[in-house]
Amino acid sequence: MSAILTLDNINYGYIDGGYRREILKDLSYQFKEGTFYTILGPSGSGKTTLLSIMAGLDKQESGNIYYDGENIETKGLYDYRRNKVGVVFQSYNLINYLTGLENILLAMTETDNKLPKNHKEVAYALLNLVGIVESKADRIVTRLSGGEQQRIAIARAIASNVDLIFADEPTGNLDTATEQEIIKLFQMLAEKYGKTIIVVTHSNEVSQLSDRRILLRNGILMISHK
Amino acid sequence: MNAFNRAWRYITRKPTKSILLIITFFLIGNLVILGLGISQAADNAKVLTRKQMRAVVSYEIDYDAYWKYINTLTDQDEIDAAYSKSIRIDKDVALKLTEDERVKAFNYMVNSIAYSDGFENVPLGNESNRQNSTYINENGEEVTYKEPNLMIYANMYDNMIELEEGTFEVVEGRFYTQSDIDNANKVVVITKELADQNALRVGDTIRVSTAGDYLINQLKTEGLDTNIAYMDLEICGIYTTLEDVDPNAENFQWMSPYESPKNIILMPMTSYIEYIEQITRVQYDIMMKENPGAETSLDDWLQNLEQPSKVVYLLSDPLEVDSFVEDHQNDVSEFTRLNANNETFKKLARPLDTMSFFANIVVWIVIINAIVIISLVTALTLKTREYEIGVLLSIGVSKIKVILQLFVELILIALLGFTLAVVSGSLMASKVGDMVLDYQTTSDAQYGESEENYYYTFGADYFTQVTQDDLLREYHVSVSPLLIGEIYILGTGVVLIAILIPSIMIMRLNPKQILLEQN
Repeated sequence: MSAILTLDNINYGYIDGGYRREILKDLSYQFKEGTFYTILGPSGSGKTTLLSIMAGLDKQESGNIYYDGENIETKGLYDYRRNKVGVVFQSYNLINYLTGLENILLAMTETDNKLPKNHKEVAYALLNLVGIVESKADRIVTRLSGGEQQRIAIARAIASNVDLIFADEPTGNLDTATEQEIIKLFQMLAEKYGKTIIVVTHSNEVSQLSDRRILLRNGILMISHK
Repeated sequence: MNAFNRAWRYITRKPTKSILLIITFFLIGNLVILGLGISQAADNAKVLTRKQMRAVVSYEIDYDAYWKYINTLTDQDEIDAAYSKSIRIDKDVALKLTEDERVKAFNYMVNSIAYSDGFENVPLGNESNRQNSTYINENGEEVTYKEPNLMIYANMYDNMIELEEGTFEVVEGRFYTQSDIDNANKVVVITKELADQNALRVGDTIRVSTAGDYLINQLKTEGLDTNIAYMDLEICGIYTTLEDVDPNAENFQWMSPYESPKNIILMPMTSYIEYIEQITRVQYDIMMKENPGAETSLDDWLQNLEQPSKVVYLLSDPLEVDSFVEDHQNDVSEFTRLNANNETFKKLARPLDTMSFFANIVVWIVIINAIVIISLVTALTLKTREYEIGVLLSIGVSKIKVILQLFVELILIALLGFTLAVVSGSLMASKVGDMVLDYQTTSDAQYGESEENYYYTFGADYFTQVTQDDLLREYHVSVSPLLIGEIYILGTGVVLIAILIPSIMIMRLNPKQILLEQN
């Protein structure tokens, strides 16, 4: 399997109370396609910062990130976010005045990636894939349960036909049963559809179900094993 | 799901904020419609009144400026020099002005009362009421004198304002030509009434004189040929005139026949000047014979014969009168001016101008307030929408598109608010406008200067008489398509400016921070 995302000497820090705090130090790693990763680590270890940088939501101080061999800053982070990655957050981050279907269509409209012309049908199919039936897909998202919203968020993340999906504590607000369903969904996306899933989590249960676990401590990748 | 779709869904699915903004735009729209409606109605009334007026500008001697100048002088020599200074209409300037493409016709004309000889004037209809034309001489004797009964219009050019406007129309023969003018041909154009009165036809000759009994008697006394006091003019054309005396006018019973437009005869100025020079030379000789030491010269007597009291220009468009005066004000010489009778018009229009001025101020205050209010409302609501913006940014929606969505939302809301305002504004505008105007004109009448609101003219009246009532009659506040267009353009402008601060706020947003805070 080839590397879909490569981190090359990533450094990130900030000044806090007059002192510089290093969050990420010379961090290098290659993420392979079709793999389900989990990033673990104690609070403040830089998990979310790393995910934000990898997802193009923030910029590293030094070092480079390559997507499929190309520096993600070459075409700009907007282009990267729009066409290369999908992000799932703990609080779902759906547009709360749109229906589930419309949230999916939003991502499909924005991307420059080639998609089938019948967006609506594809969107329903994606929602169906993540377990959202048509009647629920047409509801305003605030009228759906947390689990349903997170499924929609995952569907949105893959709707723009991206191969790389980031998730920050995607099951943090969900009960155990729903957590299991979401993780199965990620596994299916990696195994069946060849998506690369990178999930930041505190949960050992979640990490044990992933293909690779990465431990981040004091800004350094400590362990990376299957 | 582009910015327009998202904007529409936000408006319809977050109705509370949308309704509040619609109400804000509705109130703003009403005030702006009222302000602009009142202001526009005032401008329209002025334009419509102007259009009803003749597009006339006169180049004339500015006696006010002349007397003001003399009053500033203290040195007697300077005062004497100023008095002896001959203020004249500059012929070159007068001609230069005719080259302006806005000039349709012009009158470079001298007028003179005259006497018919061998034919009758057209009766005025007041003859039975009038006293005999008599005066008491130095011996206390009542002397009957011959009354002037014709008016000569002697023009330097073969076109007249009256012909161009259709007030005069040549119905038989022709008007005198440039060739007649250049050769000082003794031709005349008379009114149809004058022709009918005397069974005159084109090709006939009439005899006219500007000399009264006194001069004729002088010539006889001096043993001179009295024929020099007469012009024999061949009728080259007969014209009709739309002008007539008003039998209900206060001064009708005192009017002389020469005051009737039916007794105006038109002739080339060169022919008239040739004739009048001849008389003047004779008069000069007689005067010098009687007063051998008189300090005057023949040139002094002749120099002003060709001098019109004013040159009048008819422009193609009444609305171009002001710009014409402005463009050429510097071309005219000292103590002469271009007069469009604007001062009186401005006085008449003062209540409308005052109202328009305050209406415009109100509009600007409302617009500035609208920008501030909508800016603040949008900026405040933006704070509650940071999460949504963060999500949009996280999925790659550009900040420009986020701003576009915000703009579309406001435009749609403004469109709805202003449309409602157009409906209610059109119902209110007329009544409020009339109330304000009523108050304004009443205030002016109570506290304003007691000036006559009429145009007065000197000599031939080329300026249209307009009263304030005429002006106010044209004042109608209504919501015209133009006004509606202005409202929507203004609304778009307000939204564009109001969106600036929120846009700056959006440009500063960082999707990571927003989403981390939320999570």
